[in-house]
Amino acid sequence: MRRAAAPLIAVTVSLMLADSAVVTLALPDILRHLNTTVGQVAWVLIAFNLVLGLGAVPTAMSVARAQPRIISAVGIAVFAGASAWCALAASIDVLIAARCVQALGGALALVGCLELLVEEYGERRGVAAWVTAGVIGTATGPFAGGVLTQVFSWQAIFVVQVPFAVLAVPAALAVPARPVLTPDRHRPAVRPNLTLALLSAALTAALFLLVLLLVEGWRHSPGAAALTVSVVPVAALAARPLARLLRPPAEVEVAAGCFLIAGGLVGLAIPPSAHLAWTVAPQALVGLGLGLTVDRLTSQAMELRLPRVRHAGWTIGARHVGVVVGLAILTPVFTADLQDAQVPAQEAIASLVLDAPLKPDDKIAIAQALGDELVDQEGRVPDLHHAFATADLEPEDRPAAAKLERALDAQLQRAATRAFRDSFLIGAGLALLALLTVVAPRRRRTP
Amino acid sequence: MTGLARMAGLPAVALILVSGVLGVELAHGGGTFEPLHPADPCVARKVTSQAEGMDALTERLVLLGLDGAACRLHLSREALTLKLAQPGDRTDAEIDALHDGLLAAVQRMKDDGSLPPASDLVDEALDNADLNGFLEAAIRALPDSVVNAAVKIDDVLTRTIDDLDLRTILANLDDEAGLTQQINAAVTQAVKDSLADRLRDLL
Repeated sequence: MRRAAAPLIAVTVSLMLADSAVVTLALPDILRHLNTTVGQVAWVLIAFNLVLGLGAVPTAMSVARAQPRIISAVGIAVFAGASAWCALAASIDVLIAARCVQALGGALALVGCLELLVEEYGERRGVAAWVTAGVIGTATGPFAGGVLTQVFSWQAIFVVQVPFAVLAVPAALAVPARPVLTPDRHRPAVRPNLTLALLSAALTAALFLLVLLLVEGWRHSPGAAALTVSVVPVAALAARPLARLLRPPAEVEVAAGCFLIAGGLVGLAIPPSAHLAWTVAPQALVGLGLGLTVDRLTSQAMELRLPRVRHAGWTIGARHVGVVVGLAILTPVFTADLQDAQVPAQEAIASLVLDAPLKPDDKIAIAQALGDELVDQEGRVPDLHHAFATADLEPEDRPAAAKLERALDAQLQRAATRAFRDSFLIGAGLALLALLTVVAPRRRRTP
Repeated sequence: MTGLARMAGLPAVALILVSGVLGVELAHGGGTFEPLHPADPCVARKVTSQAEGMDALTERLVLLGLDGAACRLHLSREALTLKLAQPGDRTDAEIDALHDGLLAAVQRMKDDGSLPPASDLVDEALDNADLNGFLEAAIRALPDSVVNAAVKIDDVLTRTIDDLDLRTILANLDDEAGLTQQINAAVTQAVKDSLADRLRDLL
């Protein structure tokens, strides 16, 4: 068990820091299954990140004198139990409550696991393993979440966390790490943590909004969305070789990464069509930016700063509060934009139905079915297929109706894309703000 | 690698990549992928129908009438359609605009020669009319030229529109049978009035 302990602990860290990215892909399914709204479903992410973000530093401070293996084991067990509770949740309120408990367990486990990895690998390698596990989790989370949701269900993303956690509890207990009582020597690294928070907010825009656009707006399956957003981790892998080739100073590397993320988000805001291919290049920019920034900033925030656990707490807090800030800014913007998009979408639908090459009776039948469907799916991008399937049409009129259905779907895709534009641009603005925190002149220290 | 290359290399690569991606997107219409904008209802549009006979005439009349009404109300045709599809009271301005729009549609169809002659519609009209068998057979036996000389479609349509209670029709859009009954009654009355006036003019 001792030999497998460190890899299992690293995987657990990865799972916990991947959580938001994994859950993002399941949100459209949760939205439908728990019959809730986009605004409410965003709280499945916000609740977890808020509790983890605000709880990380106090947890790190309060457990400084405790046994890291006990803290880790308790944290992992709570996380696993809450994950199982999430999978069983039958309402959005229960799911959000379970997510809060899950985040509390996550906060305990993350700070404890850092000490265990340092115990196993030594200071430098241990911190690097903890940071890398987090970056890998963030980058690969959406793919894992999408595949699990597509193949099984949204509950699977929570169920799959349980066996890993069950194995990680004895692994954590097997590491004989003692509490490291270090004096409070260093202040938190404000600049890298602030940049990390702003970038997390921007990356939330990239993942959360893109997934909702792909699944809810463009009507792709979670599996297709997962495959599409896997461009981000693949591009992130290219970041290190590029940085090694050009050998920029750390600040320049982070600044270029922020600029790439901002550029990628602008690209996602203005696709020329709803073809998945148009998201690939902008996502590659985001992935490249992610690979150049997140691990570099996390290392900068923790490097040679003591007590280590507390500074790890600050980086966890910065990342997750950043996600909450991103969601808090973006959720009302895009839900309002989706609402505003209804009128132009309905007018476009009305225009196409009025001018459709169908008999008047067929137009009336389709219009009535569409009207009922739009009322039933109020607050979401509607799926019009049911309206066409149930409309009372003659068999010879079906081909023209199918053509009209495709034209109406295209209009909905256009309306959804337009509705998400401002949110992506706000995300780009957040990435540019992160860039500002990097390039802003430093305050000179008086001798 | 020089200090300048290390400082400027990655930012230059980032700038080229971002400019390239955004440039390609904009060149392919990026930023303009938006829903269809409604056409100006005051600009005459070509209106066709897949139906035949009375249905085709009614559809074209309604579509052109909606355009005319929307133009008068300074709305798009689509916004007016969606508004009229909602339950609720109609304003006098809406009713007046719809009435005037339908009359303007009749005039436009008359001007562009797209109104069918009465003889094209007489069989269908008789099928829907509640006449005794003898009278129905007599009318069916009339030559087209006589029917067309006796009944002017534009006159019948104008009388029908004037006679229709648009407010009641809009309030009962879901009641298809009632709607048909009301329109048939208005058309029959309009034909009778038109014929009576023609006879009066002849005498």
